[in-house]
Amino acid sequence: MASSQSLTSPSSRMPSAKTVMAAITGVMMVINLYLIFMVAPTDSVLGHVQRVFYFHVPIAIMSFLAFFVVFAGSVMYLITRSPKWDAVAHAAAEVGVVLVTLALITGIIWARPVWNTWWTWEPRLTTTLILWLIYVAYLMVRSYAPTQSKGAIYAAVMGIVGFVDVPIVYYSVVWWRSIHPSPVVGPFAQADALDGTMALVLLYSFITFVFFFVYMVMERMSLRSMEEALGRIRFTLRRSGR
Amino acid sequence: MLESVLLSSHLPSSNLPYLFAAFAVSWVVLFGYLFYVNRRQHEMRKEIARLETMLEQSQEHTDGQ
Repeated sequence: MASSQSLTSPSSRMPSAKTVMAAITGVMMVINLYLIFMVAPTDSVLGHVQRVFYFHVPIAIMSFLAFFVVFAGSVMYLITRSPKWDAVAHAAAEVGVVLVTLALITGIIWARPVWNTWWTWEPRLTTTLILWLIYVAYLMVRSYAPTQSKGAIYAAVMGIVGFVDVPIVYYSVVWWRSIHPSPVVGPFAQADALDGTMALVLLYSFITFVFFFVYMVMERMSLRSMEEALGRIRFTLRRSGR
Repeated sequence: MLESVLLSSHLPSSNLPYLFAAFAVSWVVLFGYLFYVNRRQHEMRKEIARLETMLEQSQEHTDGQ
């Protein structure tokens, strides 16, 4: 019995931290919505649709953060071969795919009234779509690998190589002629790109999405630890002939 | 160039459905994903409890012999 207790202990340890994180994220998100709709001024050119920006930009930047975590986790996994780094990279990749999917969808919805088209093959959109394809492929490699350890190694290599596209996505609006707005965060952001209140609301939205990202990764890692615990119990049962 | 594209589009009050759509999709995708992960965790917990019971019975059976 002692062995089976230890198999499930990682999952039973997690809920308290997760619950606290969920509560903080929930409260922050409600405040975020209040700031977006009640405090942030309406853009004089784009109108109300500009408020999509307070979700679209932090979600896109969080997807970059997620893929950086995949990159770091993959490097550490290849150096140490510790499954915990693989678990971090796997969780961050899945959350990253969800976030970059949302960044693409919210971007498309924004593009329709502003650019008068749902989609155009301009550099930022095209490189982001390539980023999405890379990390969907990363998840597929894990699923279709013959063994879990081989899947982890293949995925780690992909997680490192795939990260090359992240700076390309960021710099695409600087390197090539693009219809997409210039960066509002990072080294190429213009100092007066945003009104003061807009910048503060955007900053708060970033912090909220950092919490949301950490919470989603915690949930996904918890699920993975359960999957591993289940695998170990099944193995023990098979060995005992049940 | 960008200004002319922006001014030629239908602005700004008619854009509300797009604003609604963007936020609605964001919530559906984010909470849909969290719901999926939580449901999988619930299933896993149930399966782990079931197999642990089997494992206990197996160990008791082995000890009894």
